[in-house]
Amino acid sequence: MADLVLALIQTAALLALAPLLTGIIRKLKAWMQSRRGPPIYQPYLDLAKLMRKGSVVSEDSSWVTTITPYVCLISMVVAALLVPAFVTESLGFLGDLIVLVYLFAMTRFFTALAALDAGSTFGGMGSSREMLVSSLIEPAILLSFFTVALLTGTTSLVSVTSVIATSGASLIGPALLLAFAAFLIAVLAENARVPVDNPSTHLELTMIHEAMLLEYSGKDLALMEYSSMVKLTLFVTIAWSAFLPWGVATEITAPALALGVIVFLAKLLTLAVVIAVIESSMAKLRLFRLPNLLTGAFMLAFLAVMSYFVL
Amino acid sequence: MAELDVNLIDGLAALVLLTAFLIVATGRMRTLVRVFALQSLALGLLAAAVAYSTGYWHIYIVAALTILLKALVIPRIIDRVMDRIQVANDVEPSVRTPSSLLIAGGLAILAYYVAEPLIQSGETITAGALALSLAVVLIGLFVMISRKKAITQVIGLLVMENGLFMAALSLSYGMPLIVELGVFFDIMVAVLIMGVFVFRINRTFDTLDTSFLRRLRD
Repeated sequence: MADLVLALIQTAALLALAPLLTGIIRKLKAWMQSRRGPPIYQPYLDLAKLMRKGSVVSEDSSWVTTITPYVCLISMVVAALLVPAFVTESLGFLGDLIVLVYLFAMTRFFTALAALDAGSTFGGMGSSREMLVSSLIEPAILLSFFTVALLTGTTSLVSVTSVIATSGASLIGPALLLAFAAFLIAVLAENARVPVDNPSTHLELTMIHEAMLLEYSGKDLALMEYSSMVKLTLFVTIAWSAFLPWGVATEITAPALALGVIVFLAKLLTLAVVIAVIESSMAKLRLFRLPNLLTGAFMLAFLAVMSYFVL
Repeated sequence: MAELDVNLIDGLAALVLLTAFLIVATGRMRTLVRVFALQSLALGLLAAAVAYSTGYWHIYIVAALTILLKALVIPRIIDRVMDRIQVANDVEPSVRTPSSLLIAGGLAILAYYVAEPLIQSGETITAGALALSLAVVLIGLFVMISRKKAITQVIGLLVMENGLFMAALSLSYGMPLIVELGVFFDIMVAVLIMGVFVFRINRTFDTLDTSFLRRLRD
């Protein structure tokens, strides 16, 4: 029973922290660009403001536009149930790593459909670009997941986390590190971060993710924004839990849990700093240069699988 | 000791292969030379690790020579040549980068299939690195034939040589010292001559694109 409660607390924490992570990244970016920047709780205020407003829906749009915000939100919540963050308990019996990949894919599929639904030009551009990016990055994600699945002999994320966390240093090797590197590129590509897409642009010809949200307003927009914040948090959490989970609580005792929470927060902060540094120091890649980066991620994951077999 | 050594050697071998992929992936000449230097450094450290765990002193000499020549001197020479003739910083591949990467991945699989029976019967601690070194050789060859500029072809040759060196290390803990010294001398002379060639090609054609060499007829 205690493990179930802990798993639910963990999910609630992930869902509650998601806007904060986005706020922290924005604040860090502001500091690096010598700006003061909005307070780190600003995303909560933005979401609350949007939730109070009504939404305008195009006359020509169908039910797809109506249900997409809920589909996105629900699949992110289900995904959050599956991901271990500070303790190796979760509702993992609901699904494994593969289910996780396809929950993210479902979000993307519905977002792209909704962007096409209203028939605006920007939406069409956005969804075609999103599909280009996702078709290139999804194999990389699957291969890097397969690497850890091969290393640990299971595809359940909770078991992967606890096997790596308890086996000490013997699993650290080229395979694990290459898979981690490939997944980090996937974190940037999947969440519309800088070398792939710029999260702070509105109404630019180069936007990908924002272009798909242009038709949304008010409450629907809040749900879409919130789901993408949760998605970022989940990807960052998975990057640590699936590849370098050391520090996570593998048993339910007070000291282990306390350590787990502290280490988890430190890990989130570390990747937030990494993302902020990348976004402040790099320019967005041209769209036609993107396949180079994304194929690179695929090759990293491929090398990870290969070095599992060869070495 | 054995466990850690094997981990270190495997990690460095994987780094050598990873840098071979980076050489395929990069689009800038300067980065290309830097990555090649990094690969040679990793290879030198790999040789040093093998020397440490086996106790053969001649491998230390080879490791030091590798780092000195291939990681420091040769990149410097190539940089000098590029400064002298003001090469544009683009690599100009004749196969586009994503396809190049996929082909390199296919070559790595091929190398694994070819090397697998040898790995099974190998007794050295580095036998696993054989597949990786064959992959590096094949990728070096691919860089030579798929890049237009003369300098990239020199680098492809050097990458192939790195792969051969790693293969020798992984099969038999390196070749006899006198052979290694001969190979180093060979490589040095080859790079110097190639430098002169590149200079002449540039003087004659105002470009380093080797496809122009087809015009060399009466």
